[in-house]
Amino acid sequence: MSRSKKKRTIVLTAALLALLPLLAACGSGGGAAATGSDGGEAGGASAAGTGKDGAIHVVTTIAQIAEPLSVIGGDRVRVESLMGPGVDPHLYQASQGDIRKLGSADAVFYNGLHLEANMTRAFDSIGKSRPALAVGETIAQDRLLTDETGAVDPHIWFDIDLWKDALAAAVEELKKLSPDDAAYFEANRRDYFAKLDELKEEAVAKMSSIPEERRVLVTAHDAFGYFGRMLGLEVVGLQGLSTEDEIGLGDIERTIDLLVERRVPAVFVESSINPKSIEAVIEGAKERGLNVRLGGELFSDAMGGAGTEEGTYIGMFRHNVDTIHEALAGEE
Amino acid sequence: MIGLSHNALWVLVSMLMLGTAAGLVGCFAYWKRHSLMSDALAHAALPGVVAGYALLGFKILPVMLLGAAASALVGALAVSWIRSSSRVKEDAAMGIILSVFFGLGIMLLAIVNRLPGGGQSGLDSFIFGQAAAMVRQDMRLMTAAAAIVLLVVLVSFKEWKLHLFDPAFARGLGLSGRLMDAAYLTLLVVVIVIGIQAVGVILMAALLIIPAVSARYWTNAFGTMLALSALFGGGAGVAGAYVSTLESGWPTGPFIVIAAAGIFLVSFLFGLRKGLLLKAMQRREQMRRLRTRAIRSDKLTEGEALP
Amino acid sequence: MEPVANMKKPEPALQVHGLHAAYRRNKVLEDVTFEAMPGTLTAIVGPNGAGKSTLLKTMLDLHPRLGGEVRFFGTAYRNAKLKVGYVPQRGSVDWDFPTDALDVVLMGLYGRIGWFRRPGRRHREQALEALAKMGMADFAKRQISELSGGQQQRVFLARALVQDADLYLLDEPLAGVDAATERAIMETLKTLRAAGKTVMVVHHDLQTVEDWFDHVLLLNRTVIAHGPTAEVFTPDNLARAYGGWLRRKEPVPR
Repeated sequence: MSRSKKKRTIVLTAALLALLPLLAACGSGGGAAATGSDGGEAGGASAAGTGKDGAIHVVTTIAQIAEPLSVIGGDRVRVESLMGPGVDPHLYQASQGDIRKLGSADAVFYNGLHLEANMTRAFDSIGKSRPALAVGETIAQDRLLTDETGAVDPHIWFDIDLWKDALAAAVEELKKLSPDDAAYFEANRRDYFAKLDELKEEAVAKMSSIPEERRVLVTAHDAFGYFGRMLGLEVVGLQGLSTEDEIGLGDIERTIDLLVERRVPAVFVESSINPKSIEAVIEGAKERGLNVRLGGELFSDAMGGAGTEEGTYIGMFRHNVDTIHEALAGEE
Repeated sequence: MIGLSHNALWVLVSMLMLGTAAGLVGCFAYWKRHSLMSDALAHAALPGVVAGYALLGFKILPVMLLGAAASALVGALAVSWIRSSSRVKEDAAMGIILSVFFGLGIMLLAIVNRLPGGGQSGLDSFIFGQAAAMVRQDMRLMTAAAAIVLLVVLVSFKEWKLHLFDPAFARGLGLSGRLMDAAYLTLLVVVIVIGIQAVGVILMAALLIIPAVSARYWTNAFGTMLALSALFGGGAGVAGAYVSTLESGWPTGPFIVIAAAGIFLVSFLFGLRKGLLLKAMQRREQMRRLRTRAIRSDKLTEGEALP
Repeated sequence: MEPVANMKKPEPALQVHGLHAAYRRNKVLEDVTFEAMPGTLTAIVGPNGAGKSTLLKTMLDLHPRLGGEVRFFGTAYRNAKLKVGYVPQRGSVDWDFPTDALDVVLMGLYGRIGWFRRPGRRHREQALEALAKMGMADFAKRQISELSGGQQQRVFLARALVQDADLYLLDEPLAGVDAATERAIMETLKTLRAAGKTVMVVHHDLQTVEDWFDHVLLLNRTVIAHGPTAEVFTPDNLARAYGGWLRRKEPVPR
């Protein structure tokens, strides 16, 4: 009796222990999440300087950096981003596969300003062996927004001017890595930035056409501060600057108060956030007699699917502008 | 309750109902010596929630809840299997299932969070709960759950008393232990699955365990203990939820747990049956009597201390 | 003398034939066969691990049966449940459970009260009566956690009495009780026997078998011997049952 039971206990324990290296082995493509990723492993990857086909291998965190760089860099760069569509960068934990990717890059670009909150250690250790630039931190402090607690708002890609400067800093880095292509990069940059200027004009025009009192943007978290500043919208997020905080009842109630007071016709969900809190706001407002619509889905921390229009920075921005415009400018 | 917004009302009522249901079921778990099981099952529900989403590709709440129930039940079966076929004891088996399933859930979550639209599914909120976002439908669901649990408890009260006290004798009388255990497990899983939306996987166990333990300090009757447990659970739910509304950014789930812990502390110190204060007073009384008797029989003079 | 024409041969209360059972990997009951007649008080004795408790549990479908047949009053257990009273070992229960003595005794009546119904005043009176028979009437409202071992055992027996069964199976009711309780319990059992009930008791103390019991079942995985105490309770049988664990018992001159 005891012998076979002992055997089964041993088998069970062995099975559990065997699971651990198995989980670690399926690291690439979303295996076991590692907190405070160990940068030591990544150090031993390919030497910095040149990629396989001579193209510079660039790895970024968010696609808002990756996609513009792939346009500006053209066929002289190979860009990939760690966080895909629908991913929340505030909560994202780097996996072993991500660390490997970072280690194989010639240059790493990330937003910084505490957006990729769980990856600071990874960036620090990667930065020792290759250029790792926090593009957001190249912007002068006085141009950035802070909230009441003094925390810096990291969502700078929603201010086209700020983003142009951030991208420019990344392009300078690329030029340093491949001086022969500097002219090529510069030309592309100018073309792309011209498109960005067009985009800004379009956005400003559309937002101005919304009646003044309706220019309130209510979303799940405070990602649109810069967007609002650039385009003259009052922005209210249910959560604070980061999705790490739990939404409290007070936040929901205050939001409802604002909606009812200003008779705002629509609120918006975001592609990377749980919509349940926004739904609670809508229902609460309904009880107080205001029919608030769900205005649509906005891209906040992430962009759309690769290969789609919304998967590009410009496409994503335009989608947001159009969605907001349609919801708020239309009849109540 | 004037001046409460509709949202606040939904949240408070939801938490009241959830706390009541959890208190009742937790009392059963307590007497089955299964309190850790409620924690294990709550954690075991996580992979089911994630799988329920991943299978379909978008969020349909009933499917996710069904997934949660299924994986919690698988966890329960796994605990039984480990216990019956190896030398691992019950609490160790529960600990294993708790951590392995929870780890599996986190792993699945990491995978799903990288898929397009993964973050929107709100799966993360199942870990810590999102009590503030309760709406009318949630309130209805939790009220229904509480009503069902209450009904089952009231209707078969003496059957539960018998089964929890002496299951062998119960079987002898024709009360199937299997049926009672299945009913208990069902109630437990229902409460867990409904509750994790509000307070999350990690804190659910607190609602199941603390009210029952606190009730024990006040009474020696099973029926009273059940009633008190329900009261404490519901009370903690309402109190915690209310306090969390006072400031912006205060999370509801943890405040409910703190309220429950507060009730426990009061019970532990001042409970009428086993509270610390009562015991201290009883001991003082006994010492006093001893002294009086010793003095009377001349073994001690007044003012002299007891040996 | 003419035999009384309509005197029937009494039906056995309990018939066990070829019963097999195992506990984990070991065979605990092997081909157990015996009968118990009404109006008898039988002690089931044997060394530790002999399967005595398992025998009771297997007969009552509380433990899986590997083979054999058990008949209560000529029928299967599930049809005779109301006629069988079971008193499990005292240690099989958590005495910290928040309930009082009367409540425990009431549990014996649940079968009669019916599921989903509340116990009535009549039931409570019956329970109180049973407690009184065991000398525990004053303890009716006492918490069971405050009772001594002997008092707990009396409560258990009261619970069995209230079932008003025809066959009683008791598992070590005299273990760890004081002398007064032992007397009270055995007197009650003798009263039951006198009323024509069948009583079988798993008993741990060889010294008192001859004092209390008219029949004995010597069990060591299988039935070593079974029958009236005077015939069966012999040094030879004991030696076979206990496998040389006992010294040969010398009969005490009376």
